[in-house]
Amino acid sequence: MSKYKRLTALLLSSVIISTMTGCSDSGVEASADEAITLRILENDTAKQEGYLDVLINAFNEAYKDKGIQAVDANMEEYSDLAANGPYGYGPDVIYQANDKLMTYAEDKHILPLDIEEFDCYEYVPEEAGDAFNINIDGETYCCGIPVNIQEPMLFYREDKMPENWQTEWDDNSNGVADFFENWNDLYAYSKYLRDTDASANKDSQYGFMSSFNNLYLNGQFLFSYGAYVFGENADGTLNSEDIGLSKGNSVTGLSALRQMAALMNEGCIDDTITMNRYEKIADGTYFCAVSTPDTYSLFVEKLALKYENEGLSEADAKAKAIENLKMVELPELMPADGDLTKNSEEMSSSDWVETVVMGGVNGYAISSYTEHREACVEFINFATSFEMIQNRMDMLGIAPTRSDVAEASGGVTDTIFESLSEGNIYLMPSIKAVDQIWVPTQTLLGDIAKDPFREAAGEQPKYFSQQEIKKAIEKVDKDIYDAIYTLK
Amino acid sequence: MKKKKFLNGNRVDSIVTHIVLIAVCLVFLFPVLWLVLSSFSKSGSIYDIEGFFPDTLSFGSYKNLFTDTTMYDYPNWLMNTLFVAVFSSLIGTVLVILTAYTISRFEFKSRKLLMKSTLVLSMFPSFMGMTAVYLIMVNFGLINQLWSLILIYAAGAPMGYLVQKGYFDTISNTIYEAARVDGATNFRIFTRITLPLSKPIIVYTALTQFAWPWSDFILPNMLLKNKDLWTVAVGLTHLDETQFTRFAAGSVFIAVPIVILYFALSKFLVAGVSEGAVKG
Repeated sequence: MSKYKRLTALLLSSVIISTMTGCSDSGVEASADEAITLRILENDTAKQEGYLDVLINAFNEAYKDKGIQAVDANMEEYSDLAANGPYGYGPDVIYQANDKLMTYAEDKHILPLDIEEFDCYEYVPEEAGDAFNINIDGETYCCGIPVNIQEPMLFYREDKMPENWQTEWDDNSNGVADFFENWNDLYAYSKYLRDTDASANKDSQYGFMSSFNNLYLNGQFLFSYGAYVFGENADGTLNSEDIGLSKGNSVTGLSALRQMAALMNEGCIDDTITMNRYEKIADGTYFCAVSTPDTYSLFVEKLALKYENEGLSEADAKAKAIENLKMVELPELMPADGDLTKNSEEMSSSDWVETVVMGGVNGYAISSYTEHREACVEFINFATSFEMIQNRMDMLGIAPTRSDVAEASGGVTDTIFESLSEGNIYLMPSIKAVDQIWVPTQTLLGDIAKDPFREAAGEQPKYFSQQEIKKAIEKVDKDIYDAIYTLK
Repeated sequence: MKKKKFLNGNRVDSIVTHIVLIAVCLVFLFPVLWLVLSSFSKSGSIYDIEGFFPDTLSFGSYKNLFTDTTMYDYPNWLMNTLFVAVFSSLIGTVLVILTAYTISRFEFKSRKLLMKSTLVLSMFPSFMGMTAVYLIMVNFGLINQLWSLILIYAAGAPMGYLVQKGYFDTISNTIYEAARVDGATNFRIFTRITLPLSKPIIVYTALTQFAWPWSDFILPNMLLKNKDLWTVAVGLTHLDETQFTRFAAGSVFIAVPIVILYFALSKFLVAGVSEGAVKG
């Protein structure tokens, strides 16, 4: 019996010891000789197109003598640092949009940085840098280093331009089609395409297409008319109690959105167009669709697949797709009275307002849970150097925040950079409260876009007057306020 | 005359029954057929499929599953799923069989209370305790480890011991009494008498213990942060919006082993379920 007891005691002790060993902190305790390993969380496009490998290899090569190496964090690109970081499973360096990073900053999940410590500092415009500033107790802290600007762009196939566009659709003879310069002509050309659609179901050609339920892609219908997300306090900080989507002439802009929706299909009410735009641009069903610059490679991929199916080799198909696929900014002029049906030729300069789109700045930040802050700073400095940003731009088609890279590349990249400097991009507010704006606006914008289809189905439209739209957008402001403050 | 009328009535009944059955089959079969055909679509997106079925068919999606692994490492996900499912099945089966046998054969204090408690507890949905499970796993340093999944699946398995207990209840007590008279120990009775008589229920248990982790999403999605460790169910839900045919191919492929297993072992399965259900 005592033999059994001894054996049982031995077994139990082994189990306890092994369990305690298993439960001990598994965090890596690097010895002095051991290399520091940084886990980098980049976006999926960077990984898919091979840029992340290029960046990591170049960094590891440059820092092999300093004992620092970077690896792919190998996590889902939007994995939540707030959920994983405190338990030691998050990345050391994270790449995200400013609204996301600043939400982390407010909850102290990312570290404040001295932006002047970084080589890119003198080349980054103030607007981009400000997107990563947070104000705590009167002090401003920078929590991210800007990399690229995101704004909605128009994607189209050059071979789908009307043959006579230089004579019929370029009134000012500046070599740019009118429908890429003002929204009334974009409306007119979209209407022309719809009217001349000869297919049985009238569903084979559309003009401008966008998922109107998406505020980020369609913010121009609000921000061009004086609306804003959050107002500002006297010291320039954002005031999340002042919600201004209904301010200015936003009702006018939403009337224009309603008009434009009538020329689309019901895919504009939800995410359908966001999901099918790549195929529909490739097969020519949509003339142009709204998306962000980082999706450029997806448009190219789908167009190349179409050419491959038509018999071209993989390399030729890709080259032809790159040559044919174009990306331009949204038309820069919107009608001041929100009436897209007016003839642009009869409008004077005072009849227009400048298009202000919603945008964001993506950048790098350092997790508060990293054990290697200095090494992370080294990595970000390397990743935001001229060479790496140029590589990133060449491989991913992004619009960099570094002025020297933008200038060197020219073209669309430089134009986006200028739009940011000129205030034509309304940056997503960099405070946590911004999380609450998306759902209410999604519901309203989708519902307004649905109105023309209600009418077509013989139902009573909901937004038949500007008063109705005004009431609805004011309710959205209130809903956002309640969402921010009810549980606070 | 009466007989003819009866035969006619029987025929009408048969035709109506068959029509209803075929209609029900189509309702269930159509989505599966659509998914299988979509997995052979040449394009990657659901939006290229005009009408119900794809125009151009290809094995491209299946090939991509195993060759294009930069973003979506399906072979790795498959191996992870297999690892978790096999070990969960092995350990879970042992635990369930032991639990069911103990409850079925031995009288001990609080046996009834234990049975009632497990019955009530098993009625709660498993995802109810997920936050608690996550915190426990965090504190034990078991996040990002495939063994943590195996631990949870196997440890939770004995809660569903009732079918197995029902099966053991059907084995005649006289066999055990005879063995005891011959001097057999409990262990010997279990290994030499009970197990050989319980092949159907063991197979049934192993299969059900395999099928759950094979297709579970909630738990691995919560515990596995690194893409290298993802199981197929988690990986497939993270596919990009333009990768629908890859999703379809991945879903079809993951179903193949389990379908083969079910067909191969269907004889045991039916026996296991039906005999286990005699006494609850």
